[in-house]
Amino acid sequence: MASVYKSLSATNGHDEKERAERKNKQRVLILSSRGVTMRHRHLLQDLYSMMPHSRKEAKLDTKTKLYQLNELAELYNCNNVLFFEARKGKDLYAWMSKAPNGPTVKMHLQNLHTMEELNFIGNCLKGSRPVLSFDAAFEKEAHLRVIKELLTHIFGVPKTSRRVKPFVDHVMAFTIADGKIWTRVYQINESEPGKKKPTADGEEMDVDPAPKKKGGKPDLDVNLVEIGPRFVLTPIVIQESSFGGPIIYENKEFVSPNQIRSDLRRAKGSKYNRRTEAIRENKIKRGDLGLTTHGGRTKEKDPLSDSVLFA
Amino acid sequence: MAKGVLKTALDAHKNRNYKLERQRKQEKAAKKKKQEAAAQNEDGEDVEEGGVQLNESVGAKVNGEKKGKAKNAKSPKATKTEPEWETEESENDSDDDDDIPDETALGLARLDDSESDISGDDSEDDEEEEDDEAEEEEDIALSDIESLASEDKGDIIPHQRLTINNTTALTAAVNRIQLPYSKLAFSEHMSVVTDEPVEIEDVEDDLNRELAFYKQALSTVKDARKLLKKEGAPFSRPADYFAEMVKSDEHMGKIKQKLIDDAAGKKAAAEARKQRDLKKFGKQVQVAKLQERAKEKKDTMEKINLLKRKRSGADVTKTNEEDLFDVELDHADEPGDRRRSGGTGDGKNFKRAKKNEKYGFGGKKRHAKSNDAKSSADGRDFSHKKMKGKTGAAARPGKARRMKSK
Repeated sequence: MASVYKSLSATNGHDEKERAERKNKQRVLILSSRGVTMRHRHLLQDLYSMMPHSRKEAKLDTKTKLYQLNELAELYNCNNVLFFEARKGKDLYAWMSKAPNGPTVKMHLQNLHTMEELNFIGNCLKGSRPVLSFDAAFEKEAHLRVIKELLTHIFGVPKTSRRVKPFVDHVMAFTIADGKIWTRVYQINESEPGKKKPTADGEEMDVDPAPKKKGGKPDLDVNLVEIGPRFVLTPIVIQESSFGGPIIYENKEFVSPNQIRSDLRRAKGSKYNRRTEAIRENKIKRGDLGLTTHGGRTKEKDPLSDSVLFA
Repeated sequence: MAKGVLKTALDAHKNRNYKLERQRKQEKAAKKKKQEAAAQNEDGEDVEEGGVQLNESVGAKVNGEKKGKAKNAKSPKATKTEPEWETEESENDSDDDDDIPDETALGLARLDDSESDISGDDSEDDEEEEDDEAEEEEDIALSDIESLASEDKGDIIPHQRLTINNTTALTAAVNRIQLPYSKLAFSEHMSVVTDEPVEIEDVEDDLNRELAFYKQALSTVKDARKLLKKEGAPFSRPADYFAEMVKSDEHMGKIKQKLIDDAAGKKAAAEARKQRDLKKFGKQVQVAKLQERAKEKKDTMEKINLLKRKRSGADVTKTNEEDLFDVELDHADEPGDRRRSGGTGDGKNFKRAKKNEKYGFGGKKRHAKSNDAKSSADGRDFSHKKMKGKTGAAARPGKARRMKSK
């Protein structure tokens, strides 16, 4: 009986332990496709350095068979995939996915500035856990809720991650503006509040409408210093399963950069066409009015000219 | 093959109904699609899914009539009037084997065909290509077709595409992956949603936009800090905790250098501007100074001349003169007069003096600098100090002193 009890209790304990472990356990596979530029690579590096729960992989060779990523993620025990797909050596698309069967979000990544080129003075511990800050607009729509959840899983560092540092010294902010998700990373900087004495401060705190926590230490002022990188994400498509499955959301407002470029080119081309057309018409008109010698047409050969007669 | 026979029998028995039903369904779907081209919602998908299932089951059972239809279909094969017919013909070929997986696949393919047929009647060629490319993503293909068609037209807004926003599927997906926030401690997930949505009027306005982001992050941090402190989780890093940072020392050094350079550049620019302004202003100052100096000179010359005239002329206002002019002036013009003023000093020959003054002849030029009796008697320039010899000699002390200093 004792052994049975033991085993039972053990399983129970194991269950509980498992539940505790299951709380928030994320691992992210982070990789890019071939054909990324230097800046894309640096962004990847920046994100990797801030995500101790991530695993970096070599560039993926294919851009069509993305379902291979699921196997790759399984291989490395990752339940999230952050995949950067570069196209034409200039456009970057970010895929975020819950690996075995979660939804996948494809987003267009714009306005990219890496840590290196931004020269911000903020800095943070490598592997400290970020506070994730979401705009309230994320809760408004279903597809944004999916995206928020994915962002939380991918960029939020779980407590149990291996290389994690115990302090919180940076915040990652996601804001929705203009139908896009703007991302910023700030360092949390705590400083002594000015010239007030602690006792006076405590008294004042009581008077304050929102009293802060009173402790032995005086409350510190919080301010933020940006660290970088910066980027903007435009959601394009959400698929139901991981890199496949039916499409459950598609952004109507998204215009692919190719389309924009071709429109620009076409506009330029039409301008040229109009001009040439006008020139031609003008020529014809002048010819019809007899202002040019042959009306803009080649002269008919005179059958009596010397060159014909004595050819 | 017994199975096949049975199936064919069953098909022969039933297929007519299924066929009709399927067509009806497709028509319905088509109508719906045309009605609500803007958003394809859940209902539409449900219908489609129904269609898929039907096709899969039907695929095997259509056999009986296929034979008959195939004959019909043979003639329009080249021209390709209706995609449905063609697929059936191809199905017919494979039906001889009676492989079920194949048939399901074909059923799917046919669904694709019919779908795209419904969606884009005007551009058949395009749609054929699209079908080959995207089997699963028929909705994308559809929207692509639409965008292509409108693009060709030119005058309609080019990027009108069908939006898929399957809210139920999305919420289901969220529920599937969502962390149990209510059960988790805050320190587990550390994500905060702001109370109010951040409003940014103009995203092009960098300063205000960044300010909004900053405010959002700051409010979040304050909330998070409070929550974490409440849970007793460590928040701030102690001053003596050193560990690897995201940005290396080298990188930070570079940033610092950049800041210093920037500051220095700014300072230098300010300095240069100041200098430039000063130069511009300095020129004016210099001009003013020169003018002032010239004026002063003129004034003094005038005074001197006046004095000279007064002196040379009758001493009418002798008493006033003393008050008017400095003693220095008096003395200053005295020695200069020595040679020129020949007779005037003695008070003789005023006429001559006046004439000399008027016509500029001051007497003979030769021997002007040679000594005469008068100049040798003049002792004004004499200085006994100068007569004492070199001053350098005095620097050398006497012998006794020199010996002593040794």
